[in-house]
Amino acid sequence: MMTTELKRTGLAGVEELYQRRGQRARELSEQGAKVIGYFCCYVPVEFFTALEMLPYRIQGGVNEPITEADAYLETIMCPFIRSAFDLALKNRYDFLDGLVVPHTCDTVQRIYDIWKYYRKPAYSHFINVPHMLQPSSYEFFKQELLTFRKSLEEFAGRKMTDEALTEAVRLHNENRALVRQLYDLRKPDPPLTSGVEILKTMVTGMGLPVLEYNELLRSVIREIRERGGGPGKKPARILIYGSVIDDISFIQLIEDSGANVVMDDLSTGLRGFWHDVEPTPDPLDGIVNRYLDKIYCPRTYRPQAETQEKDLDNRFGYVYKSAADFQVNGVILYVIRFCDTYELDAPDFKSYFQKKGFPVLYLEDDYSAGTLGQLKTRVQAFIEMIA
Amino acid sequence: MSEKPAEKTTSTKATETVKKVRAIVRGLYQNAREAKEKGQFTAYTMTACQYEEILNAMDIVPVWTENYAGLTAAKRDAERFVLKAEAEGYSNVICGYVRVGLGFDALRKEMGKTPENAPDGGMVMPDLLLGCGSACDPRFKWYQALGRYMNVPTYSFDVIWPPVDADLDEVRNYYIRYQREQFQGLVDFLERQTKKKLSHDRLWEAISRSNATWRKWWEVDQLRKAIPSPMPTEDHYNAMVPGFYCCGTQLAVDFYEELYNEVKQRVDNKIGVVPEEKYRLLFGGGLPPWHTMWIFNYFETLGAVFVMENAYRIYDPVEVPSHVKDPLDYLAWRTFLRWTQRYDMAKKRSGIATVERLLEYIEDYRIDGVVTHATKSCRATTVGQIDWLHRLNEYTNIPSMQLISDIIDVRDYSEAQWKAQIDAFVEAVEAHKRRTAR
Ligand code: SF4
Ligand code: SF4
Repeated sequence: MMTTELKRTGLAGVEELYQRRGQRARELSEQGAKVIGYFCCYVPVEFFTALEMLPYRIQGGVNEPITEADAYLETIMCPFIRSAFDLALKNRYDFLDGLVVPHTCDTVQRIYDIWKYYRKPAYSHFINVPHMLQPSSYEFFKQELLTFRKSLEEFAGRKMTDEALTEAVRLHNENRALVRQLYDLRKPDPPLTSGVEILKTMVTGMGLPVLEYNELLRSVIREIRERGGGPGKKPARILIYGSVIDDISFIQLIEDSGANVVMDDLSTGLRGFWHDVEPTPDPLDGIVNRYLDKIYCPRTYRPQAETQEKDLDNRFGYVYKSAADFQVNGVILYVIRFCDTYELDAPDFKSYFQKKGFPVLYLEDDYSAGTLGQLKTRVQAFIEMIA
Repeated sequence: MSEKPAEKTTSTKATETVKKVRAIVRGLYQNAREAKEKGQFTAYTMTACQYEEILNAMDIVPVWTENYAGLTAAKRDAERFVLKAEAEGYSNVICGYVRVGLGFDALRKEMGKTPENAPDGGMVMPDLLLGCGSACDPRFKWYQALGRYMNVPTYSFDVIWPPVDADLDEVRNYYIRYQREQFQGLVDFLERQTKKKLSHDRLWEAISRSNATWRKWWEVDQLRKAIPSPMPTEDHYNAMVPGFYCCGTQLAVDFYEELYNEVKQRVDNKIGVVPEEKYRLLFGGGLPPWHTMWIFNYFETLGAVFVMENAYRIYDPVEVPSHVKDPLDYLAWRTFLRWTQRYDMAKKRSGIATVERLLEYIEDYRIDGVVTHATKSCRATTVGQIDWLHRLNEYTNIPSMQLISDIIDVRDYSEAQWKAQIDAFVEAVEAHKRRTAR
């Protein structure tokens, strides 16, 4: 069994783990744990936990100029993926024993073969995730997860029992509940915790064993509750919607410009934590449902509703609900350039929120700290306008 | 620019058969308008979604939105649509085809009628939108986005294929089953909408016509192994029209039959595309530069001929097992087999089926150099090209290069730069040939 002893707890622990990203995974790897890198929210992390492996969500590095990846990847593609692969080429992910890639978008699909060929991980697996949500899509996805389960078992050298999987589901549900508790601390005005603190915690958690993450979350929640104070009242409350933000710089920029980021729906934020896996007699059924249907990402096609209004409600209604619950007065739509699914949703998303009375700032970003300055003036102007 | 592009697109060596394509294209949009007037159903569709024969068997007239976008680019009339889409808030890095399509429909909604002087009379207002997940994400997001401009029943479906490293024996059954369910879902939707039943006999007939089409087309490409190359590459990009856009019709079967005979005659008489064929090139991937098709003529002036393309040529004939008796099963099988072609070789060698295809072409067509085209807004056909060229380099030492521009957008394309790049490349090809001849 992996150690559950924590190096650090509370916000100081988060800070340390955030600054030294990958460190904990590296340590565990040195102690013999198998660490498996994966992309996006669509890989059932419960599988790794059930086999006592450590899932590690692969990140990029906005502060690190892309220097090596240009020789392998076109510049017209998602810079987050380019950055993550650049780090891999620079051996920053040498602690990973394996790579699991879900078919989230075209780009993630492509990176699978490329990463595999040039980095040669000991284990690799690709999971096809249907874009559609017809009854047959669930059946297919279940088969695809059974194939994945079998291949992971082979790598682990042992079977994944249903009991272990059920227990893993319980632990990850607990984790999701804790994350939602943490997010609830942002509801008051002023929020009890800042967007920067939240992001650091979330990013940190993506590389910890679930037991450690749960402990960390408990200690962070306790500390925030007890400390009082927090970021203080600011003229604006912001919800941020988008794909990957795995560095604090952009959130910091917003919070330095006179707003509190009090809610998000980011793929590195709450996206993967809204819904639990329902415990089902065959634990896989709950996993299939949760991962296919309950992650709201533009990459999944929600069947057309009778009217455009209902259609938009189906796609973005949950974000609207949280914007209202958290009493935000502005929404930032953050899209990483060349991300087709988000780019094609952007005008719909924008007009949907505008109709609901929320001002929206739509930003396309190059996923690079170097170009962040270009967004600054627009963010400032937006906050001034809504404050 | 010194010359007018429109005059440059026609190769002097174009086949007589291919000259008929222009009328076919014009007919596509014209037919759709007439069909609609007669009360037939029309549907926005994309190429290579694998369901063409179903539409044919149900008398649903397809409107090929990607093709239409390419057409506006070839006529240098894409910009107003692109600009409209961008004014609507669509990013300028979105697929150029999609931007043209969205811009076209945004303008139509705004003006309440087909945009003025739209090329070939414009796309008819469709009764159905049929998106699909085959090839790229924009293909189902585009039609979802069209909800802004029209309230038209929309159906999207998955086309899914396994990764190269999958154990096909393990996954084949459930992949095919899912694909079959996807086809069934589409048929159910179409039957509900049109209130007509799909006739399996008619579907079989359409399938057999489209198989005959693709087989003949494949045979034409076999003829193109001849030296000198009998058919210009520009012809390929026209000849693809019946194959993709008239799939399942007799017209398409006849077209390739005729093309085959003509090309065969050229081969027999050793008639080549250029008087002196010095270098044989392979178009390794990406979409062709529709706005600058005359660039192939530029290559030809240097004695370099594209003899084969890995673009709009996606399936070789496949053998569906004879126990498959249901047409939807057949389509599901065929999809699976088409998509997993060359997986065996890829597993053993390069890891990528496309690279295997290129290696095969390089050998069979005696290729001296490979050119790919990175189209800025089409990630689907662009991302991975550098990787392919790397892998090719491990198994062959012929020169390769990547040209960069867009399928639609000419705002930042430089003719001079391309010509300089091409000159240097052809020199490299020449040097390589000399080295290997020694
Ligand atoms: S940001 Fe977009 S393009 Fe990049 S990996 Fe995520 S979904 Fe894919
Ligand atoms: S991205 Fe490429 S494959 Fe997809 S619709 Fe556009 S041109 Fe076609």
